[in-house]
Parts: sequence; structure tokens; C-alpha cells
Amino acid sequence: MARSLLGNPVNRVDGPVKVTGQARYAADNNPPDLCHGYLLTSTIANGMVLSMDLGAAEQSGGVIAIYTPDNRLPLHGEPPFLPNVLGERRRPLSDHEVRYHGQIIGVVVADTFEQARDAAALIRVAYRELPPNSSFEENLDRGEQPPFVGLPLGVPVDIGVASIDDALAASQVTQATTYRHPPRHHNAMEPHSAVAVWKGDELTIYSGTQGPAAHAEELAVALAVDKTKVHVVSPHVGGGFGGKAFTWAPTLLAAAAARSLGRPVKIVTTREQLYTVTGHRSAVVQTMTLGAREDGTLNAIKHHSFTEALVEDPGVRTTLSFYATPNLQLRLLCPPGMNLPTPTILRAPGDETGSFALECAMDELAIRLQMDPIDLRLKNYLRTSLQTGLPYSSKHLDECYRVGAARFGWSRRRAAPRSVSDGDWLVGMGMASAVLAAGRAATTVRVLFRADGTAAVATATADLGTGMWTILAMMGAESLGIPVDRIRPSIGDSRLPVGPGSAPYGAIGSAATATVMPAVRDAADNAIAALIQHGVTHRRSPLRGLSVEQVRYRDGKLSGGGTTIGFGELLTTTRTREHGATTTNEVKESTEYVFGSYAAHFCEVRVNRFTGEALLSRMTTVVDAGTILNEKTARNQITGGVIFGIGPALFEGGHVEASTGRIDNANLADYLIPVNTDVPDIDVVFLDHPDPNVSPVGARGLGELGTIGSAAAVVNAVCNATGKRIRDLPITPDKLFE
Amino acid sequence: MRAFTFDTPATVADAVAQAGDGSAYLAGGTTLVDLMKLDAMTPTRVLDINRLPMRGIRLEGARLSVGALERMSDVADHPMVRARYPVVAEALLRSASPQVRNMASIGGNLLQRTRCGYFRDPDTPCNKRAPGTGCPARDGHNRAHAILGTSNDCVATHPSDLAVALVALDASVLLRNRTGERIVRLDDIYRLPENTPHLENQLHPGELLTEVSIPALDWARRSTYVKVRDRQSYEFALTSAAVALDVRGGMIRNARVAAGGVGTKPWRLPAVERALTGRPMRLDTFESAVAHAADGARPLAHNRFKPALLRRTIVRALTGLED
Ligand SMILES: Cc1cc2nc3c(=O)[nH]c(=O)nc-3n(C[C@H](O)[C@H](O)[C@H](O)COP(=O)(O)OP(=O)(O)OC[C@H]3O[C@@H](n4cnc5c(N)ncnc54)[C@H](O)[C@@H]3O)c2cc1C
Ligand code: SF4
Repeated sequence: MARSLLGNPVNRVDGPVKVTGQARYAADNNPPDLCHGYLLTSTIANGMVLSMDLGAAEQSGGVIAIYTPDNRLPLHGEPPFLPNVLGERRRPLSDHEVRYHGQIIGVVVADTFEQARDAAALIRVAYRELPPNSSFEENLDRGEQPPFVGLPLGVPVDIGVASIDDALAASQVTQATTYRHPPRHHNAMEPHSAVAVWKGDELTIYSGTQGPAAHAEELAVALAVDKTKVHVVSPHVGGGFGGKAFTWAPTLLAAAAARSLGRPVKIVTTREQLYTVTGHRSAVVQTMTLGAREDGTLNAIKHHSFTEALVEDPGVRTTLSFYATPNLQLRLLCPPGMNLPTPTILRAPGDETGSFALECAMDELAIRLQMDPIDLRLKNYLRTSLQTGLPYSSKHLDECYRVGAARFGWSRRRAAPRSVSDGDWLVGMGMASAVLAAGRAATTVRVLFRADGTAAVATATADLGTGMWTILAMMGAESLGIPVDRIRPSIGDSRLPVGPGSAPYGAIGSAATATVMPAVRDAADNAIAALIQHGVTHRRSPLRGLSVEQVRYRDGKLSGGGTTIGFGELLTTTRTREHGATTTNEVKESTEYVFGSYAAHFCEVRVNRFTGEALLSRMTTVVDAGTILNEKTARNQITGGVIFGIGPALFEGGHVEASTGRIDNANLADYLIPVNTDVPDIDVVFLDHPDPNVSPVGARGLGELGTIGSAAAVVNAVCNATGKRIRDLPITPDKLFE
Repeated sequence: MRAFTFDTPATVADAVAQAGDGSAYLAGGTTLVDLMKLDAMTPTRVLDINRLPMRGIRLEGARLSVGALERMSDVADHPMVRARYPVVAEALLRSASPQVRNMASIGGNLLQRTRCGYFRDPDTPCNKRAPGTGCPARDGHNRAHAILGTSNDCVATHPSDLAVALVALDASVLLRNRTGERIVRLDDIYRLPENTPHLENQLHPGELLTEVSIPALDWARRSTYVKVRDRQSYEFALTSAAVALDVRGGMIRNARVAAGGVGTKPWRLPAVERALTGRPMRLDTFESAVAHAADGARPLAHNRFKPALLRRTIVRALTGLED
């Protein structure tokens, strides 16, 4: 066959439609007779809606309907399992209670978005207001062990001796440090939007989602219809980051309002509303206590973490998979009943926060022991799972350190802070590691040969900007031996084939590529077998009568008995539009290995000696994630991930007003994310060692790897530059200038 | 956004004749339209002034005159501005983003409204937006707020970087109203909040800012603008300093210093200017001159760092003017 595409940089197949504005995102759909819903949100954080004066709004131009807790849209049941734990459980408008500032308390539907928005502003709401419990800091001593929810989240972990404190006390060196993250918001470019169209009892909904099939299921539960009646269309997603993994109220309300009005309804969440109605990452306080020998060997780790509510688990996942230690204790505590918006998962859930604490603590320990931070990490290199004792498959993190150190010039780092400067700028270097538990899930893929000479490859996953369209096309081309431009990938639609288990959730956990790729290969093999079967049995086929064994498929052609025929020609001859197979790829939990993906980050920072601004001058990230399928999309994921980690290090954080529960910076001018000038050159290197144990393709997940540990690399570099150890993110100039 | 009437006057006379209470001029719209969408400004009449002949950057005698409709990016790029008043060009280039600067006018920049988050959110009280309702910023989130010129009724920062540079240069503005024209020093245009924070400047209702006039100042060629902020673009100042020095033979003969991000209006610092004058051009001069830069400051819970940061910002700016 032609030169393999895999491992080479391939341009995005969806690039042209995106740069020319032809890609249709959810809100770009404008079916006939469309009307627009606008969400009305609460201006208190705790209490009751007593009454709503709708008079002026009802008289306002173009208004069609106003839904409130007194005029509810019927929404039923509770979300199914995962979203019940990780999304918002309560149905919007279901009662008069207000639990957080910015909670949905009404929907105004009008002919235009502007009319709906302006009418919503005319609604006067009378509340019975109670003092809000919205201060994270004031709740720190109210933490409780969260109840078991059927997932490993929040479940205590104890490894080694009975008392971790004894183990720490027995260590030659102990170090206890506390690290803080403010709340973090996804801030995907595309806001949550939905356009709902009912035909009889069937719903078609255009709504950006990471998992179209799960989205359909969640909608079906809420609308009390069979899930086959719900068709989710979401070919392009303008960023998800976990915020579009589950179904949030705006989508439910669009569907319910459209049903009630008998007209299509579009709801586009405003930027400000996104901060409260579509989930966020909880603020986190973590205490990391390390016990070690003077030579750096870890003896005990005690990692306690405190979050607003049980969702992500920055205690467990990360620390379990970084370093060898005979003794380990992990705890997660949450306070009950805070008046804050619902937290959910966010890119690198748990791992981003956990790696920040652990990788900063390791840097602090290295400084204390006067060791090179890389040597300390190598000293505690983890080769077998702390929990199961199984070996890590194809782990090359040590090579990441080595290659990264050489490329970055780590040997030029001076251990003593403030020893390097460039004019008025203090220069520092820092590093950190990243470990991502590399999962792979079951999925189902359909491969169909078509009479027009193309092949359709379809599965109900999503492209969040992650490159899934391209990877699917490439893998289809590779498996069928035909050029990429003859592959017709399909994703982002709930009617496409869906796998079992968590597969409906599509693109989560950085596992989409690792999951879908081997499945495409298997599905292609089955489709080829089906094609051959068709060729030897169809009465019009020139191959008819041959045995299956006599026919070979190669590069889009079947040959046997002296005849060679392209599949398009064959199907044309047999008057068959398309033929192929749908294949479910089961994944057995490995009993021999544990899987991770790895990276080492290196960062150079400059800090102004007068005024304390920290500017990143360069970063190097070396990645070990098995086979790299498309260098271009992989590099894009890592670069984007590193920037996603720089964000909380230097800029990001929601400001919740303790006295009102209001988020003070719920917009993109005041909630700071890095802009181009803040982002340094990021040198990304892939080791590209195929992992034969994960799948025949050898690829592990990498989407979240860039984000894990990168904030710690920044913090460690700042400490090397200035001697100041910042444990409370973000690092703003006021923390550094004095 | 509330309903409003919209007109596009063709002459300055026409514009001021149509303007009055409840009207707003629309220049680049980068402040006005934002605030109208948020319902923080609700003019009943909007007058688009972009057709008015208020453009041009030219020398008038020794002064540099800049039409109120000149865009921030064009002024920042202008060779005369860059050569004679680097502090102006730098203040502009460190403002907003290229997209905003391409759209935003000089007049609109000087008259832009505060970035106080409560002012922008009509669901919260705010004396500036709704007189008498209170000032939640005093006990709320006030990292970006002012420490100088504040009152119990308002602690909002004046957001313009350009205004800081122009106040340092003693610039004036030309105002047109129905009865005629007047020239006012920019420094005098801005009011302190006192107990009337809703009155931000001395413009009469309907008055139009037509031109900015910068006096000749030979030694302003040695000037700079330093802005400290939480990110490197698209962000307002935590503190900023506009400085110009007349240095001869290693001695400072004259100085201009103004600060941003700290005051309820652009904050000229005459005491620092005096302390620099007649002293050698050296770090210890700078450090002792700024000792009293933040005298009278009333820091708030989240901006206690500002007095010290302000002093350091000025020192950094001054060291930047060393040969
Ligand atoms: C994201 C963002 C970041 C920003 N960052 C910065 C920054 O870092 N530094 C900075 O200095 N600015 C910053 N700005 C503010 C920006 O500079 C101002 O919005 C802009 O200069 C206003 O000019 P305009 O022509 O768009 O004014 P408009 O929005 O049209 O008008 C602003 C106000 O002035 C009035 N007005 C306008 N022209 C006249 C006139 N000729 N006579 C009388 N009244 C008039 C209007 O009625 C209105 O009240 C930022 C803005 C944004 C959106
Ligand atoms: S500081 Fe001024 S603008 Fe801000 S809330 Fe107070 S009164 Fe309003």
C-alpha cells in the first residue's frame, strides 16, 4: 500500500471548513420558525424566589413565553449515573429554592435573542434571602469524608503501615506544605448552545457535546421519551475541556421549551452565565506531607485534599501514579451544603491540581536535600503500580527527563535562587513531571465501502478541536489502504454506532484516540471480510463462486481467480450502495500491566526585579505516549495543554464574593486566561515508542498530558529565579515584587 | 440593551444641537456598546460622530493637535508622536489589544468609563451608575481599585493609560457645545468622586470633545510609560507610571511624573517631580524621590500592595530613561 500516514503530520481534514466559516456549530443552525430563549439567573446565592413580576417583560416586544418555577417546563427524573455524580442533579426551575448565585430561575422566549434578553432584564424578582455559605476559606474546617458514590472518587487510600504519621515521624526528613487553587472555569470558546427541533415525538437537537450518545440518553431521561426519539447532532465542538461531557440545563430547557411551544427554540448561554450554569472546577486546598531519607528516597506520602464538593479527586489518582513510596495516605474532604455553582470535571480532572501540589512539593524537597530535582525524581522512579504491583507498560519517563534536560539546557540551571539575571529580570528554571493514567475504553465503529469508491468510517465520538476527524480519516485510510480523501469520517451524531460501558461519553479522559484507533483497525478488517463475502456470493459479482480464501483485499481492490476489481466498481456492478460491518471492540482490563502516559516539562521564567511580573521565556515538553498517530494534532494537543496549565499558574481563578456568592469576574476581560504575549515558545518532543501492550496500534492518550505538571514547572522556575515559593495560585506580581 | 434613537450628524454644530441629557456620542463604541449591552449605560439617543471632521494629527505652532476621532492605533504609530512623545505612543501600545486599538478613538479613550465590575453589573448597587445605592467595591473585590482620590462613596480607578501620559504632558482638550468652544486642561477635566461619583468629568451634557492638544516639550523625547498588569496584553494597569525627564550633564533639570491604576483620576505626582529636580540621575535619587509617591493612599483589602508597587513602578520607569 501507499506510504503510511500514521506518525506523519497530516493537516486537519476539517481545517478548510473551519477557517472558511462553513463548519456548523450548534448555534449556527437556524431552522424555520426558530425562536430564542434567554436564561434568567438569580442574583442571590441562598434563599427562595418569592415572586416574579413579569408584567413589563410580557409586554416587551416579541416575547412568546416566560417559564419560571411557577410556570415550569416539565423535566423529569434524575440524570443517569455519571452525570448524576459529575454534573448537575437538580432539574432547572424545579422549585423556588435558590442554592447559588447565578442559578437559572427563568427562561424568556422571544422572536429574537435581543428581545428575549431585554425582556429578561425587565423581570423583577422578590426573594427571601438567607446569608450564603459561599466562602471556601470559611469552610475549610468543615470537611467531611464524602459518601460513596459508586466510583473510586473520594475513597480513602492507605498503603503501608497502619499509621501514616508514624511513618512520617520515622523519616529522616519530613516536609508539610499546603497548596491552593482558586476555582477554575472551562471557558471554551463556544458557549453551551442548543437548537431543539421537534417533529411529532421526535427531537433533533443541535448541541455541542463531548459525547453525542450520552447527551441523547440524558435528554431522553429528562424529557421522558425513549432514547431512540432523541437525535443529537454535534459535528463540531468549539472546545469542551470536560464542560461539555455532561448535559447542562440550557440544553434541557431548549428541548423542553421547543416541545411546549411546538416551535424550534435556540438557547445560547452568555459568557457570564457559563460561569454558573455549566459547571466549573472546584477550588482546591491540598496538604502534601512527604517523608524521605536524606538520600531522597521517599518513605511516606500523606496527601490530603479539600474541595467544594465531590467531583474530581485530586488526592487519589495523581499521587498514586507518580512515585514509589512504601507508605501512602490519601484523603479527600468536602464541606456539605455550600452555596456555590455545581462543580464538574475539567481537563485533566484531579491530575492537574494533584500534580501541582506533588510536583511543587518534590521541588521543595529537592531544594531542601540539595539534590537536583531530576535526580530526586529518578531516585523515586515508579516501576510498578502502588496498588496492584503490576509493572508499568513501556514507561520512558526517565528518557523524557534526559532528552528534555539536554534540549532545554538544564545543566545551566543554578541551584541557588537569584543567581542568574538578564538586565532587570531575574531568570530561573524549573521542571516537573506529568503522568496520565492511560485508559482505553470499548467502542463500536462502522466501516462501509460505498459504490462511489469512498469508504465511510463512523463512530459516535466527538472532535472538540482535538483532531478526531483527522485521526479517524487517517486510521481509515491506513486500515483500508486507500487515500485519506476517499475516507468519509462521521462523528458527532448520536445515531452513529456507540459502544458499551462508558463509550457513550465519547471524548473524555484523553482516551478517545487510544480507544477509537484500534477499533477502526478491527472494524476495517471485519468490513473487508464482509466485502469479500459479498464478492464471492453476489450473483452479479465477477468474483462469484470463488472461495473466501481465494480472494485478497489490497489497497481498495479485491483480487482472486485472475480478476482484480476495485470495491467501488464491485459495488456498482452488484448494484449495492454500501457494504461493510459494524464492530464492537471490547477491552479487557489488563492483568499484566498498568498503563500511563508521561511527560517532563521544563520552564524558564523571567521576573522583574522591581515590579514582580513573571514572564515565561521558553518551555520544553518531552512526551512519552506510545505511538504518535498524527504529529501535527498531537503537538497541537500538547501545546494547548501546556498553555492550559500556564493559565492557572499565572492568571486564572474565579473570584467568589464571600458575602454574596457572586462571581466577580465572570467574563473574559476580568477572568484572565493567557493571551499570545504571555505564551512562550513551547518546544514539544515526542519519544514515539510504540506500546505493544496497550493495543496493536501502540498509542496511548495524551490530550491532558500537557496540562498535568506544567503549572508546577512554572512555580518551580519562579522559585529558582526569585527564591520565593508561591503555593497559592495564581502567581501575580504582588506576590513577587517584595 | 434599551431602545434608543440613532442619528448620524454630519457637522459638529448638528451633533451638539442634537445632544443633551440622556444622549451619548458613539465613537469607536468599544466602551459604549459594551456598557449598553450590559444595561450599565442606557442612553435614549445615540449620536454616531464618526462622520464628523475631527481627525488629523498635526503641529499647530509648537503644540501637537490630535483630532478626537483619531484611532488609538494610528496615534501610536504616528512618527511625530513616536519621536516627540514616546510616553504617549507607549501608553497606547500597552492599552487593550490591537483589535480594540484599531477601533477605539482618542476622545472615547479619555472619556471611557471605569472598569469596576460592580459598575458594569446592573444587578449590584453602585453609586456611580445608580446614585445613592451604595458602593459594594469597598468591601468586595477591589484588587483593581484606586488608593488615591477615593471617597466613601466610590473607589473606582480611572482606566485610561493614555490619560496618564497626557496628564503628565499637561495636555488640554477642546470642547464644543451649543454656545461655543472652550479649552480645558485634561487634568482639570476629571473630577474626584467625593459624594457625586456619577459625575466623572467637567463636560456639560451634550458637550463634544473635538481635539486633544499637547504642548511642546522638547525633553519629552526622553519619556516612557511603564505598566504593571496581571497579564501582558489586553489588561488594565495594576499600577503604571508616565515619566519624562530633562537631563543635562547627569543632572535632572525637570521632571514629569503621573501614575495610573491607582487613582480615581489620572494621578499627577508633583511632589515626586520636585524631589527629582536638581538631583543626579541615579537610582538613589529615584528611590528617595518616590518615597512619598503614595502619601495619602487609602488601600483596600485586596490592593494593599499598590502603594509599594506604585513606588517601584515609578523607579523602574525612571531607570528606563537612563542612557
Ligand atoms: C477588552 C478591552 C481592554 C481594554 N484595555 C484598555 C487598556 O488597557 N487601557 C486603556 O486605556 N483602555 C483600555 N480599553 C478601553 C478602550 O481604550 C476604550 O474602550 C476606548 O478607548 C474607547 O474609545 P471609543 O472610541 O471606542 O469610545 P466609545 O465607546 O465610542 O465612547 C466612550 C465614551 O466616551 C463618549 N465619547 C466618545 N467620544 C466622545 C467625544 N468625542 N466627545 C464626547 N464624548 C465622547 C461616549 O459617549 C462614551 O460615553 C480596553 C477596552 C476593552 C474592550
Ligand atoms: S467603586 Fe465606584 S463604580 Fe465601583 S461600585 Fe463603588 S461606586 Fe460603583
